[in-house]
Amino acid sequence: MSVQTATNPSTATRRFDPLARKDDLDAFRAEVRAWLEAVVPADWRARMTGASEADYVAFQRWWFAEMGKVGLATPHWPRDWGGADIGIRHQVIIFEEIARAQAPNPDMFVISLYHLPATLFGNGSKTQRDRYLTGVKERGEVWCQGFSEPGSGSDLASLRTRAERKGDVYVVNGQKVWSSYGAFADYCLLLARTDPTAPKKQAGISYFILNMKAPGVTVRPIRQATGQAEFCEIFLDNVEIPVSDLIGEENAGWAIAQSTLSAERGLIIFELSERMARTLDADLADAKRTDAAWLKDDEARRAFTRAYNDMVALRLMIRALMQEIETDPHMGSTTMPTYIKVHFSELLRRYTEFRLKLGGLSGQLRQPIILGGGHQTGNAMHDFLLSYAWTISGGANEILKTMIAERALGLPR
Amino acid sequence: MSDGHSTDGMDLNALRDGVRTVLSEQASHEKVAAFTNAEGVRDQPLWSQAAELGWLALFADEAHGGLGLGPSELAVIYEELGRAVAPLPVLGTMLVVEALARGGDADQQAAWIPRLAAGELAGAVSMLAPGAPAPTLTLSTGPGSGVVLDGVVENLLDGAAADVLLLLAREGEGLRWVLVEPAVDGVTVEKAATVDRTRHLGVARFERVVLPAGRVLTGDADEIAQALLHHAALALASDARGGANAIFEITLDYLKTREQFGKPIGSFQALKHRCADHKIALVASGVLVAEAVAKAASGDSAAGRYALAAKALASEVYARVAQDAVQLHGGIGYTWEHPCHLYLKRAKLNEQLFGGPAAYLDGVTDLLLAAA
Repeated sequence: MSVQTATNPSTATRRFDPLARKDDLDAFRAEVRAWLEAVVPADWRARMTGASEADYVAFQRWWFAEMGKVGLATPHWPRDWGGADIGIRHQVIIFEEIARAQAPNPDMFVISLYHLPATLFGNGSKTQRDRYLTGVKERGEVWCQGFSEPGSGSDLASLRTRAERKGDVYVVNGQKVWSSYGAFADYCLLLARTDPTAPKKQAGISYFILNMKAPGVTVRPIRQATGQAEFCEIFLDNVEIPVSDLIGEENAGWAIAQSTLSAERGLIIFELSERMARTLDADLADAKRTDAAWLKDDEARRAFTRAYNDMVALRLMIRALMQEIETDPHMGSTTMPTYIKVHFSELLRRYTEFRLKLGGLSGQLRQPIILGGGHQTGNAMHDFLLSYAWTISGGANEILKTMIAERALGLPR
Repeated sequence: MSDGHSTDGMDLNALRDGVRTVLSEQASHEKVAAFTNAEGVRDQPLWSQAAELGWLALFADEAHGGLGLGPSELAVIYEELGRAVAPLPVLGTMLVVEALARGGDADQQAAWIPRLAAGELAGAVSMLAPGAPAPTLTLSTGPGSGVVLDGVVENLLDGAAADVLLLLAREGEGLRWVLVEPAVDGVTVEKAATVDRTRHLGVARFERVVLPAGRVLTGDADEIAQALLHHAALALASDARGGANAIFEITLDYLKTREQFGKPIGSFQALKHRCADHKIALVASGVLVAEAVAKAASGDSAAGRYALAAKALASEVYARVAQDAVQLHGGIGYTWEHPCHLYLKRAKLNEQLFGGPAAYLDGVTDLLLAAA
């Protein structure tokens, strides 16, 4: 597939530079919009419908590179690491415009863009930040996450993958699972046990950077309920990790893992909530235009409006969080991101199920999937199934609810 | 109800602290229970205190003895009254002030607003609702320059506690808002007791009741009705927000101290997860209420839709939390002595006041469709 040549020819006519217009919000928005209009191929959804894996990967890399050219792949990163230090008002504009343009989701780069920096900013060494953040920004390196194991899901701290220090390397043995995009990843954020004798299981875990090309790493895709194979299993057989790729102190990995997970509950949902808002507005406009039957069905119409109100509340919660972070970047509220993750994922399940019900029997017909189409592909059954990714991953909602009860509400353990 | 300062510069946190302190003393659960057990219509000591502290003057403009503040400050009052399940007819009184400010002439404003702001008069207003049918009360030209009212007005919130009623009446094909002073005009407002004893509904009957023409508001009746509906929606949403948070805190305290099977019942996961669900719902509805208040304060064009959405969501969340509070308390929560039932009954009445959940959801849908 030749995505590069298929883009709107006008891309060549001028260089876009939204960040140069940062000081004027209207001009900034106009430039982001103009760039998206020029660069997002009008037919990308059609081309990604039922596309091959190779085409999908090529398209993701192309899209990431395009975002990078105008500084909009990593605008939320601090300037020292190649970001633009943009604040909430600019981030809102970017996400709103991306949603408006129905631009592709850079799915394959989610860990690279959010989890990796969230981990390295607070805990990585300068060498690690320089090497790996630059790798993402300049070379489009793909990262995956190696946290869960077959026997350690919700009880993540029971993980058994072992890392033993031998001279200048750690020798790692074990197995990881549910690693999204592991098959295409260059690196992996890896948790492994360095001290099996620690009195608390959390205290014996270390955090590593794993080179996925290292000898002894085997990746096997896992097919999901949607039929796609985004997840992977990672087998580690005497894999050597240089000591310089240990993040933070030995046995301090558990606390660092919390900052990785918090990324999952912040900016990523911000973008997804803007796309969700766009979808609900578009669905209502469609229903109005076509005089859809569900508008006259009290139960269905009210279910829609309940979801709409919850979506408005979700966006307000995210803005409250962003303001909190902007006021005090180091405070990093631990509770609001958790409320947001649970609220968003439950709403996503409810709304995708609502659309599925509207689809009736025809909603059950198998349709080709739009790769990279996120949760708004219009393929109702696929979108519904994909909503489990958010209620289960990044801490199952049941685990998060226990956490809220104990840490935010002070209920006894 | 955003934290910090309103646009007028009033310190909302200080206002909140002040109101809460007074209510914790003057509208403690014991005092509220005593009032409700006595089947009163108006808690006169509490009303006088509210008037003395200037709560009733917040919203009226400065030319008429008020402080000229807006929705942000009022929302604090409504939310705190909700927290305390206080029996105080503030909403009806503020609605009359709002109607006069929007649709009264200079004489009407001068005659009524200062007395409402001073707490000399409490008000009650026709029960509006999104999409409600036209009233059955009729207004016709009477003897001389007067007007005549005929018909029955039901569902006047705190109507028997009111000194002045503001009623929506049909006049030919159109609608008019009319002021009635029951004691002066020879009208009796009967109390229709609600299960929530912190408030009640009133019924007023009119058989050729003659009023001076100056009792009819000259402003556009539909515009006034819409403003009052949005005001009531925000007030009830704020009341719901305050009440839901209060009963949730009471419930959490109980779960931390009540022991069964040798440990606090709050350590059981089945209860923890319900509490987490409630907390998330309280945060989500709380930010929506706050945004609705902010939009009303800034005169945003979407303020009406946000007010309706806030009432729909916050009253539903209040009802859910208050219902579960009784269950989480077990037997003690089902007793007359425990405050749980005060919150549960207030929550269920809030859901229905000025229109039920379906009416509010449909009101939001209509506004969304109009903009789609």
